[in-house]
Amino acid sequence: MSTRPAPPALVRSAWRIFDLSLGEMLWSRRSVFLALVAGGPVALALGIRAVTMWTPARLPMVNGARMSGSAIFGLIVWLLYIRFIVPVLGVFYGTALIADEVEDKTITYLFTRPIPRGAVLVGKYLAFLVCTALLVLPSAVIVYFVLSPIGGGGIGEQVPALLADLGMLAVGLTAYGALFAFVGARVKRPLVVGLVFTFGWEPGILIFPGYLKRASVAFYLQALVPHAMPSEESVVSGILQLFNEIPPLATSLASLAGITVVALWLASRATRTREFVLDQ
Amino acid sequence: MPIHDQGYRHYDGERSALGRRWIVIVRAGVRTMFGKKPFMGLLLLAWVPFLGRAGQIYFSTSVPQAATLLRVSPTTFLDFLGQQNLWVFFITVYVGSGLIANDRRANALQIYLSKPLMRSEYIFGKLAVLMVFLLLVTGVPGLLLLLLQILFTGNLTFFRDNSHLLPAIALFSFVQALTFSSTMLALSSLSKSSRYVAILYAAVIFLTQAIYAVLRQVTGGTDFAWVSLSADMTQLGSAIFRVPPQYTTPWPLSLAVIAGLIVLSGVVLERRVRGVEIVT
Amino acid sequence: MGAIIAADHVSKWYGQVIGLNDVSLSVPSGITGLLGPNGAGKSTFMKLVTGQLKPSKGTLSVLGEPIWGNPALYFRIGFCPEQDAFYERMTGLEWVTALVRLNGVSDQEAAAMARRALDFVDLADAAGKKIGAYSKGMRQRVKMAQALAHDPELLILDEPLAGMDPIARRKTMRLIKEWGRSGKSILVSSHILHEIESMTSNILLVNQGRILAEGNIHQIRDLIDEHPHTVHVRADDTRALARAFLSEDDVLSLKFEEGAVIVQTARPDAFYARLTALAASGELGAIHEVTSPDDNLQAVFEYLVKS
Repeated sequence: MSTRPAPPALVRSAWRIFDLSLGEMLWSRRSVFLALVAGGPVALALGIRAVTMWTPARLPMVNGARMSGSAIFGLIVWLLYIRFIVPVLGVFYGTALIADEVEDKTITYLFTRPIPRGAVLVGKYLAFLVCTALLVLPSAVIVYFVLSPIGGGGIGEQVPALLADLGMLAVGLTAYGALFAFVGARVKRPLVVGLVFTFGWEPGILIFPGYLKRASVAFYLQALVPHAMPSEESVVSGILQLFNEIPPLATSLASLAGITVVALWLASRATRTREFVLDQ
Repeated sequence: MPIHDQGYRHYDGERSALGRRWIVIVRAGVRTMFGKKPFMGLLLLAWVPFLGRAGQIYFSTSVPQAATLLRVSPTTFLDFLGQQNLWVFFITVYVGSGLIANDRRANALQIYLSKPLMRSEYIFGKLAVLMVFLLLVTGVPGLLLLLLQILFTGNLTFFRDNSHLLPAIALFSFVQALTFSSTMLALSSLSKSSRYVAILYAAVIFLTQAIYAVLRQVTGGTDFAWVSLSADMTQLGSAIFRVPPQYTTPWPLSLAVIAGLIVLSGVVLERRVRGVEIVT
Repeated sequence: MGAIIAADHVSKWYGQVIGLNDVSLSVPSGITGLLGPNGAGKSTFMKLVTGQLKPSKGTLSVLGEPIWGNPALYFRIGFCPEQDAFYERMTGLEWVTALVRLNGVSDQEAAAMARRALDFVDLADAAGKKIGAYSKGMRQRVKMAQALAHDPELLILDEPLAGMDPIARRKTMRLIKEWGRSGKSILVSSHILHEIESMTSNILLVNQGRILAEGNIHQIRDLIDEHPHTVHVRADDTRALARAFLSEDDVLSLKFEEGAVIVQTARPDAFYARLTALAASGELGAIHEVTSPDDNLQAVFEYLVKS
């Protein structure tokens, strides 16, 4: 055999793992779930468009005018993408980066290769990002194109806001994915912890005034959303409006970047030091 | 005879009748979960709202100034059961996601169904495991609150004036437990991965909620509340407790959605729970 | 070459359960069989040697270097795990190529190495089929292909023959012996004693987390002094033979079977020398067959495990 290659480098190794994992993630049956989730807003948008085409009067009045397509798009971004799709995909895929390989017992093949263990995590994280972005971002674009003509709006009018939305969604997937990658690498039942965080902790602490809400991704992500937060008729929503605090854009971006980097580093470290015992 | 046969002896004792063997599955499942400390922690946390409500009942009956502010009415009990939904969700995910998925993963279905155990007994057994824990955090504390109300007031006036409360608490918590259990069980039969099942279940609960939230904003009304399973449950609860409904959706429609979901879950279970997989 | 695997007072526990208990050993180059009953600690040892677990105590070195947290060492090690787990939707060639690429080689070289490895394990024809469609024997062989594709110095095979039909087993054993002859060191674990015996005479015997014995089977057998050797002699005049045997003090006991006498002797070398002389002289009748039922791995295993 020819002279052996140089000792493994993290970036190159992570790239190879990314290559190996992307196909597995994209074409697995679990991606059917991803497609259904990403398709949900599209189906909803098509339904709303169909109904408003025949009965425009069904749309409520906002400030003396019928609700516009861009306003509906903003609602869908807030209520579907930010509050459900992005965090849930982060939980589902992020906690599974290593856990799936352990469950399927294929982790052995990756951990007995001359690559740093951290590269396995980073490579799979990159595959998750590409996989989810490939489905979620086009879904948002389709929803935008379906809804913007409602109320007589033009498709090109809100394109800067659409681009901001796409950027926000990508940042959200990045941050949530990294956070739950750390949870997945560190905790024994990461999915339950992830669901508690997404549907218990984050909605809960946003209600409270003070510094507590900074211990969440949603607090910083909301600063990147170009649309106004919808007001719902509930006590929780009322309190949310009362204590609503939007951090500055630069602070939010820096915080989300920090969360991503720190979580990935911690996840990588946990993967390096943890022993993964397969079920017999 | 002086030397006894040490070999295998056939069991000639009493055997339980067909149709009662599901109890074995329930007992084993419940015992297993009670042996898990994190789950016991979750169960204990789920009883914390009960303590809050018990405090409310105590102060409303003992402190005259608090009686108006902390007034106890049928809505109190319905609200308590509604507030338990978050714990119901976590317990359903923790207990239910692996109920059938883990058996499928371990190829244990074939072993179960090769015993003198009917498919329906297997399904009822698994269903009952989850229902036991859900009723433990809904119906049991709900009925205990009613008992506390009677004990603290020292008379049966409230109970006589609201005699429907006892059957209402029992019925509504049973419907809650049955709906969520059957849905989770059906999802669990679809996959070998309990994590995937948990996320599917989260999608059923929260995605439908999010879709309704969008429709509510877009239509300006609550006609589409039937889309959200949580809202359907709330609407049905209002009817059972005879309190004003929260949404304009007719309660028979909510009942139809819930009944439809239970029936659909049954159909899925009937098709998926088999000793052999038929490959066409 | 020195020891390929060296363990110095290695212990591994999982909570309250001890997987390996104060194990010190050195595995020489060549083929070594790792044996032990279920729960003996074989899997734990395999996982420690392949760097999947870290010793709770003691030090473990593979090819002269510590293995835990040392990914560069995997250039020189190939591991074939026990579990039947693959990326089922990939073909055999795609899967082996993808894993070889993780060794840092180019795509073309990885594909060439994968083809060579698949050819070596007789899977060249099935290389383009999805692994999900492979038979059990093919799945085992594709696992071995990924272990040896990068031409490692040390191969670690965990139950490589599990689930194989007899023809596939023979083929695989032949392959393993070939690899051994080509200069590779191989550590192979198995429950199937006579197959280990046919691949190597160098063994590691594990039980209850401890090493019972290491080295050559026959040497180990000879060292088990407290267990006399059993010799089965089929002859015409078993009674006369028995009288002759009993006159020597190394014969501890004997019993009769149909047409044979079974002797227990504490000094097999001396016994065999006398028996040879008797057979040659023919003075006590013809001796048709002499066998030793316990000069094999099964006997060694039973003696040591049950003692």
